[in-house]
Formats: sequence, structure tokens, C-alpha cells
Amino acid sequence: MQIQVRLFATYREIVGEGQLAWTFRDGTTVGQLVEAVLAKYPRLLGHEKSMVLAVNHEVVRLDVVLREGDEVALLPPVSGGRR
Amino acid sequence: MIEIQRNRIDVEAVVDSVRRNDAGAIVVFLGTVRADPDVRALDYEVYKPMAVRTLTELAERAREKFGVLELSIVHRAGRVPVGGDSAVIACAAAHRSEAFAACSWVMDEVKRIVPIWKTEAGPAKRRARRP
Repeated sequence: MQIQVRLFATYREIVGEGQLAWTFRDGTTVGQLVEAVLAKYPRLLGHEKSMVLAVNHEVVRLDVVLREGDEVALLPPVSGGRR
Repeated sequence: MIEIQRNRIDVEAVVDSVRRNDAGAIVVFLGTVRADPDVRALDYEVYKPMAVRTLTELAERAREKFGVLELSIVHRAGRVPVGGDSAVIACAAAHRSEAFAACSWVMDEVKRIVPIWKTEAGPAKRRARRP
């Protein structure tokens, strides 16, 4: 199945692209997708603990099973700022 | 009114979007780009569909949590020069205490959970701005 992977800010800079089309076998989970992305782009290693994951614009857990056409976003911590 | 836009924010239009006859207070917050050393602008990168969805949910939660009547949030994307408005929140309520509380809470949540990242732009640099 085809999955769109979106990357932002520091992750986009590390990978060199903000959008990747990736093919996975049926039943792949968000966690397995993240493992595949980290394996292909090892410079992302170390970021996974602070990474927020979203499927179709909604924050999800790692055990969510992906479906054909899903858009998975790997989100660095947002900018924050003092009050 | 929930918007992410690249052009300048019309603050008066945001305020007008929350006006109601049963409101006794409108609180407006402007987030502006601060002139830190060597910073001429901030570049905002936005995951727009998720940002709009999250901002819409925040406005709804603020209505429920604080009983505010109307709430609008507009945020810039792209480059905003020093002194420019990067975010505008307008909140209308029957009384000012709810309007102040909701406006403050919404801005904290925007900084915490909305997928917007900023990078400092200066004469010869480009780096993520620290919180």
C-alpha cells in the first residue's frame, strides 16, 4: 500500500525532503513505519523519543495500523516559547 | 475565524469577527516578532491542515472550558519581520475575566500543540529559535 510520509522543520532538513511516497505491506503499523524511516535516514536516530506522530492530521500511537493512502507526519517538538 | 495565512494579519478584521451584542468584553492578544540580536525576521513553517484542525479544536475547547462566546485565531506562515504580528487571538465573553483567561490559555496551547515551527532569520544565519 502507498503511504505519504511528511517531514517538518529539523526532520525535513535532515532528510532533505518534506514529502516521501513510500510503499508498505498491508498491516504495517505507525511504529514499523518510523523504524523504516529511521533505518533509511539514520541521522534521525535520537529524535524518536521527542517525535510526535500524526495520521491524517490526528496524533496517534505507534500501534495504529496504516491504511492505503494514509498521510503520516513525523513532527518535531513545536517551537514553544516562554510566557 | 481560524486561519493560517502568509500575508499580514488584519487585526481589526479579527476583532470584528468575534463581536456580539451579548459580549461585554473582547480580549485581543498579538504575538509579535521580537528583535533579538542578529534576528531580522522569523520564518514560520506550518503543517497547515493539521494546524487548522488543532486550532479549531482549541477554539471549541475554550468555548466549553471558559464559556466564551466567540474566539478567533489567525497565525502567520512564512517570513514575518521584526515588529510584525505572527499571531492574533481575539476572544469575546460576557465578562472580561473569562475573556482574559481563555485568551491566555489558548495562546499557551497554540505554543504547546499546534504544528508550527519557527526559525530565526538574520543577516547570515538560520536556526531554530529556542523556547
